[in-house]
Amino acid sequence: MSSPPKDFDRPRFLPAFTALFFVFLFAPIALVALFSFNSTRSLQNFQGFSLQWYERFFDNESLRESLIASIEIAFVTMVVSTVLGTMLAFGLVRARTRWAGSANVLMLIPLVTPEIVAAVSALILFTQIGWRLSLETIMIAHITFSISYVTVVVRARLAAVNPEVEQAALDLGATRWGTLRLVTIPELWPAILAAGLLVFALSFDDFVISFFTTGESPQPLPVRIYSAIRFGVTPTINAIGTLMLAVSAVLIGLAIALPRLLGRRESGLGVLVGREAA
Amino acid sequence: MSGKSIRAHSAEPSASAIRFEQVTKRFGDTVAVSGLDIEIEPGEFFSLLGPSGCGKTTTLRMVAGFEQPSEGRIFLEGEPVERVPPYHRNVNTVFQSYALFEHLDVQDNVAFGLKRRKVPTDEIRTRVAEALELVELRGRERSKPRELSGGQKQRVALARALVNRPAVLLLDEPLGALDLKLRKQMQVELKGIQREVGITFLYVTHDQEEALAMSDRIAVMEDGEMRQCGTPEEVYERPGGPFVAGFIGISNLLPATVENGGIRLASGTRFAAPVPEECSDGSAVHVSVRPEKIWLDELEDGMVALEGTIVERVYVGTTTQVIVELAAGLRLVALEQNTARQRSDDRWQIGERVRLGWQPEHALVLR
Repeated sequence: MSSPPKDFDRPRFLPAFTALFFVFLFAPIALVALFSFNSTRSLQNFQGFSLQWYERFFDNESLRESLIASIEIAFVTMVVSTVLGTMLAFGLVRARTRWAGSANVLMLIPLVTPEIVAAVSALILFTQIGWRLSLETIMIAHITFSISYVTVVVRARLAAVNPEVEQAALDLGATRWGTLRLVTIPELWPAILAAGLLVFALSFDDFVISFFTTGESPQPLPVRIYSAIRFGVTPTINAIGTLMLAVSAVLIGLAIALPRLLGRRESGLGVLVGREAA
Repeated sequence: MSGKSIRAHSAEPSASAIRFEQVTKRFGDTVAVSGLDIEIEPGEFFSLLGPSGCGKTTTLRMVAGFEQPSEGRIFLEGEPVERVPPYHRNVNTVFQSYALFEHLDVQDNVAFGLKRRKVPTDEIRTRVAEALELVELRGRERSKPRELSGGQKQRVALARALVNRPAVLLLDEPLGALDLKLRKQMQVELKGIQREVGITFLYVTHDQEEALAMSDRIAVMEDGEMRQCGTPEEVYERPGGPFVAGFIGISNLLPATVENGGIRLASGTRFAAPVPEECSDGSAVHVSVRPEKIWLDELEDGMVALEGTIVERVYVGTTTQVIVELAAGLRLVALEQNTARQRSDDRWQIGERVRLGWQPEHALVLR
């Protein structure tokens, strides 16, 4: 052997394999984005660049209303479930009761419940108590399943907070509330931010629960797209899809950039993928 | 280094800094600390020494206010503290993990306590600067904790506590995470800082050398109880029992019985030793001889003389530990200086018979 093999346990086909995986993952999305800029109706041939499908989307009042409704729902869901989920995480990590074990498992149930079951139960509940289906009912249903996501992310982070750091704050004259405000929340907030953005994304593109709990009008964007698609796929749908993709990309960018801008080592995304320091 | 404004000012000079009165702490069925009675003087460097699980950290945490005694009372500067929450106690803690606030820079970490006490901004600036001067960290004000080395983090933790001028500084194995060389250096510095600021230090450690090197007094703890309390010389030269003798220094503990006012080893060997009055004939005792008090080969008149086989030889630089077996299971460690005139690692061959002895007064008879 002239030269010893390098990287013994890293087979050479891995880069190719990884590239293939990413093509598989992103090709459909890339196509949608590409054809959203097509100058003709065709979904097979790209004939030239134009923004007409985006114009059509913004000219269509009902689609625009749906977009605004979706953003409203996602925003309210994010704020409410982040607050409630963080409080739940505190209870689960800090409360030393004999119920803590059961509560920790029970809180995972919304994550493993088939969405259709959650959607139908929410629908039945709202009709039983006579609550007219509207944006509020979607928000409540979304908040219900989102709390668990927030709790899972924040709880992991909270459990990793060194108790001595909080004791140090108490020791240096901070009250319990002061310790929470000055030390614990600053330690947690990349996780809280990440959880909030995750929940925003989940709520923004949720279809099943939204479909069952939506009122007549305005309908959230994914439900509106579904109704539109029944009358044939138009390149407008591609434009909407691309826009939603852009929103998600912005969210990911925020999750990475916000903690950095405020002088933190870890990104919110790092918290989500289980990497402490990016 | 200037520590003039960090210097302690005790409210009541006559009161002791800390007083434990029959303090017991139970966690469920386990007793962590039992019947502790200690009085610590203002300005004293006092160490709690013992193996892990002996209750020393629990004791410290009760002073800080993170734990409440199950029984008994703790007084800080003469005042009982059971109703005082941690944030109103005039003590500060240096934690083993340093527990620095990662999202704050060095300056804000050190200023944290002063800000909580609403100290004027100008005063905060001067006091933080002085504290950083004292721990030799000027110029690192804007660094984040993650940019600092272990030793520097340690200094920030120390400055963050000292800047508040507490009546007592509590230190929980503060040097435990540092490497040996840095630890030795910090021991000297810490002792110097304590002398300079005059604040009472309550220091928890499991490192007997550290406790001996730094403390004015040491309380040796085992299983939640205090076994002995005294100056480093007292606990080393006159250990109060087999545990203290074994925990501090190399043990050299031999089980024995008292016979005719002397000592009889299990092997049958008899020799003279200062037997305490309360040990009557036939009572089971332990004999302890410090390794540096044992002579090998050349003995003087009046020495206790025994014979044994050299079974091991450990060269540790300035000295060589020679392990001699007197009889099956009875071993003694002798410490030989590696001076210019002799190198004991050449001199002592494993398997050789050797005479060893000590002055009778150097044997400690422990019940």
